[in-house]
Amino acid sequence: MTPYALIYTAVLLGLFVLAGGGYGGFYSVGRLWSNTVLIRAGVACYLVAILLALAICLFTPLAALWKVVIVLSVLIYAAIPPVTWRYLAKLHRTPEESK
Amino acid sequence: MYRSQKLAVRYFVAAVTLFGVMTIAGLLSALYYLHPSLLFNVFNFNMAKIFHIDTLIIWLLMGFMGAVYWFLPQELGREVEGIWLAEILFYVFCAVVAVVSVVFIFVQYGSSNEFSLWFINQGRKYVEAPRWAAIGIVIVVLTFVYNVVATCFKARRMTGILWVLVLDLIPLTLLYLDAFPALTNMSKDLYWWWWLVHMWVEGTWEVLIGCIMAWALMDVMGTSRRIVETWLYIEVMLVLGAGILGIGHHYFWIGTPQYWLSIGGFFSALEPLPLLGMVVHAIYDAGAHHMKTNNRPAFYWILAEAFGNFIGAGVFGFMMTLPQINLFSHGTQWTVSHGHFAFWGAYACGVIAVLYLAKQKISGVEFLDGRAWKWGFGLLNFGMIGMVGGLLIAGIAQAFYERAIGGSTMMAYMAGQENPWFVSGMYARMGFGLIFAAGYIVLVYDLLSSGKRAPKAVVKSQTT
Repeated sequence: MTPYALIYTAVLLGLFVLAGGGYGGFYSVGRLWSNTVLIRAGVACYLVAILLALAICLFTPLAALWKVVIVLSVLIYAAIPPVTWRYLAKLHRTPEESK
Repeated sequence: MYRSQKLAVRYFVAAVTLFGVMTIAGLLSALYYLHPSLLFNVFNFNMAKIFHIDTLIIWLLMGFMGAVYWFLPQELGREVEGIWLAEILFYVFCAVVAVVSVVFIFVQYGSSNEFSLWFINQGRKYVEAPRWAAIGIVIVVLTFVYNVVATCFKARRMTGILWVLVLDLIPLTLLYLDAFPALTNMSKDLYWWWWLVHMWVEGTWEVLIGCIMAWALMDVMGTSRRIVETWLYIEVMLVLGAGILGIGHHYFWIGTPQYWLSIGGFFSALEPLPLLGMVVHAIYDAGAHHMKTNNRPAFYWILAEAFGNFIGAGVFGFMMTLPQINLFSHGTQWTVSHGHFAFWGAYACGVIAVLYLAKQKISGVEFLDGRAWKWGFGLLNFGMIGMVGGLLIAGIAQAFYERAIGGSTMMAYMAGQENPWFVSGMYARMGFGLIFAAGYIVLVYDLLSSGKRAPKAVVKSQTT
């Protein structure tokens, strides 16, 4: 790994998780306020996360195993906010509402 | 108030005091980077750093213990068993900390012999306290475990949160015993030492703060027990699942087998996943209760905990955890940046939230709000973000110039320390550290006085 590759790889990795967090944050606030603009902003963040994952896979000298981990992570990121949200909504339902 | 809660308040006072000592020692440590000859041979950098990191551990531990003593009688509807012993041992704990501090200031370190290990300084980072003091801490923690377990037995009642807490107290106590061995083989010593440091911080403490936050959520937002307990089980499972083997991300440059680096990298790479779930959870819970709370400072500190944990541990951690990066970033200011943010987000914000919960009950106000806490909240978080930003710049410069270009030689180290990016980062850390210290002063002022200004706060929060 060259000195420059060290820096841009690390920055891409950090931005990748941050974009994932942006997706989770915007998606959740959008769902909370039923605001489609915010949900779309969340989806945009997720698209950025995909692009960053792609950049990490194509342009960084990380070993193949770590690139697989990044690809799997970006796939799992897609599911976390909606699945967590649905689960939380189910959990918050009273027994009467569930019936 | 229960006697246990009165004891909790004493623990909170001690914790906040040590938080202050930690802040002062941190500022002093930052100054050494700008003026390396400061207090040379009088009070060297290593001693300021010991004060900074040891008080970090102790103030958080005291905060956690205080929080458990605060919530436990509420949870079981009875006084804590053996509370008289806990009250005595609180003073023993404080006396141990005071005596060790005096020794660290005036004696500092001794020769490489048994006497130094027992009475001056064990020389192992985070657990420098001499053995007699470490034994004292074990006794205090064992009493704490006894208090929790015996109270559950006497009450003949166990809740989900208490099960998690009791099971967590076993490794919490056992792992601390790892503070005692003095192995002469450095590789072996550091291998086991990381078990204490990592497993506490990314294992037992995560579970402990999870239990405390579960109680805090029920208190601040009225979240139902069924919800907090279900979420606690899931989060504990995910955090421990990724956290335990994540220990490998520390095993660099100490002579451990290479496979640890891949194991550590892989499990650390999983750690942002549960943290992302926690962000969604925090937003959902805040929204489910329409941001309504009778304790706004505690509510905002709980939110800060979720977001700070995600960014500090998740984003800053992931940036440097994969082995090919960690190889270069390990032990630089980059790590320090991640450590500061992760500790702040994961633990400090949670403990401050509990301080405000206790404050509300002690002052007897129905709604807790006001202006000072916002200043404290803003200055502390702004100061922390600035500090970790400065440290990140300094750390990246160090990894780039000293490690990647210079090849980690002594000359490269010196060149790295003089690099303008490194120096600017350290100046930024100092400046933002002062802002953080100002935030601490406002926090203390608010904790001491917000109850007195309660009537105004009630009116304000009712009208907004």
